[in-house]
Amino acid sequence: MSVIDLSKLPSQESNLRNYLDTVCETYELDYAAYAGVNPIAQTVHGFVNYPDEWQTRYIRQGFQHKDPALLVASRSIAPVDWQRLRGEASFQTIFRAAHDFGISEQGLTVPVRGPYGDVGLFSVTRNCSDREWSLLKANILSKLQSAAVHLHDNVVRSQALTRQLTHPTLSAREVEILQWVAAGKSQQDVADILSISNRTVEVHLRSSRSKLGALTTAQAVGRAIGLGLIYPY
Amino acid sequence: MILVVDGLNRHRYTRILDEMFALRARVFGDRLGWEVEITDGKEIDHFDALDPAYVIGINDDGRVVSCVRALQTTGPHMLADVFSDILDGEPPLRSGTLWESTRFCVDTDILERGQSRNSVSYATCELMAASLEFAKNSGITDIVTVIDPVMNRVLKRSDCAPYDYVGKVTPMGKVSAMAALLDCSDERIDRIRRFAGIEGDLFVDAQIAEALADAPVPARPSVVPFETAKEPVCTKAALEQYCVEQMRDARTHEELSAAKRLCEMLLGQVMPANRAGPLASC
Repeated sequence: MSVIDLSKLPSQESNLRNYLDTVCETYELDYAAYAGVNPIAQTVHGFVNYPDEWQTRYIRQGFQHKDPALLVASRSIAPVDWQRLRGEASFQTIFRAAHDFGISEQGLTVPVRGPYGDVGLFSVTRNCSDREWSLLKANILSKLQSAAVHLHDNVVRSQALTRQLTHPTLSAREVEILQWVAAGKSQQDVADILSISNRTVEVHLRSSRSKLGALTTAQAVGRAIGLGLIYPY
Repeated sequence: MILVVDGLNRHRYTRILDEMFALRARVFGDRLGWEVEITDGKEIDHFDALDPAYVIGINDDGRVVSCVRALQTTGPHMLADVFSDILDGEPPLRSGTLWESTRFCVDTDILERGQSRNSVSYATCELMAASLEFAKNSGITDIVTVIDPVMNRVLKRSDCAPYDYVGKVTPMGKVSAMAALLDCSDERIDRIRRFAGIEGDLFVDAQIAEALADAPVPARPSVVPFETAKEPVCTKAALEQYCVEQMRDARTHEELSAAKRLCEMLLGQVMPANRAGPLASC
């Protein structure tokens, strides 16, 4: 996967936008947007790669205060397809306006809940038929879930206070598995060594990557060594 | 048939949710003897206030016969905050593609024995298949589920054995509880469907969903603007209050500059000490 690693990049603002561009390119999407609320740091973050004119219009008309893709979707744990929002009064107003800027009403929002009441909303759009949309969705939803959490965690951890609170804590099993990966073992090797299923190894690696804010397992190993959680081999 | 109720539509399904909370009270309070809080015959905990998703089994008479609750593992959930004994002090798994499922139960009073569509066995399999399908369609790859040994046996018997467990079996009231891992794969869903002879779409269509909803009440806004969320404001005020107190109580120059540094880090600004007054009301 060619999606960039946010935490490695120096200037956050422009990099979050680049990240959205890369996600769009990788998953054949038109536009992407992120909005996050961090009640501890009292910050609201918003990044989009929509056309500038639409952004201006959106803010000027205060759409962020009534956009169902933000306000309604934050109450779901599952990604909310915008088809489900068509009944909301504000949906028609906003999407008719968006249509003039070439933004399709075919889209979805992935809600992310963090441990401290922080909420992130990652939205993507794609102008295509219903059929194409449901096929695309089935292919990329899992990856969008991971991307949404990566994006949200990086925004939240850019705040000094929340960074202090979110020091990664790995379980003994997660450490054990990462340690074997650091020793050069494949996922199947690790499963055999520990007498557990390949899937158990996989689910723990996913969790370790998420906790360490890493996109790849190699990166998670690097970070775990850096934090002194495992030994270099 | 299966209905999914979540934060977006729960205001329309109070009757269904009340029946579900009553079922949970009978199962987890009376039958299993878990230490759950029951008020007015309904078992509701603070995770129910977090807008989880409920996958609910409903019979042909429109009664709730089974239910399960799903939460993201990235945010607050039971294994992290309540069932930590099961994890033996270890931190829980956390991933964007892993959900936690809790409070899985079926109504053994309404349902029959045997294999019919109204049997405990069929309802259990239908709910298992539906919860896995719902998760899979949301981009979720795995579920960690808190269950008792009876449910664990049911899973194994229904060709849906967990691929692994996390933590250990832990006493919980009259029985014990454990955390099992299930993949939300087509193979697993197909196995359950084959075992119970479940065919076709499990989820209710728009028309039945409408029929199951509460009688219409005067429209109310379902969109809550960010500004009405009072809690974050209080958090900020509390932080400010804390900073002000730290500065006020500083007895040496070092303490004062340490308090100022903390204040800068927490709030991104230096707080004048005289702002202590109006904040105290929060």
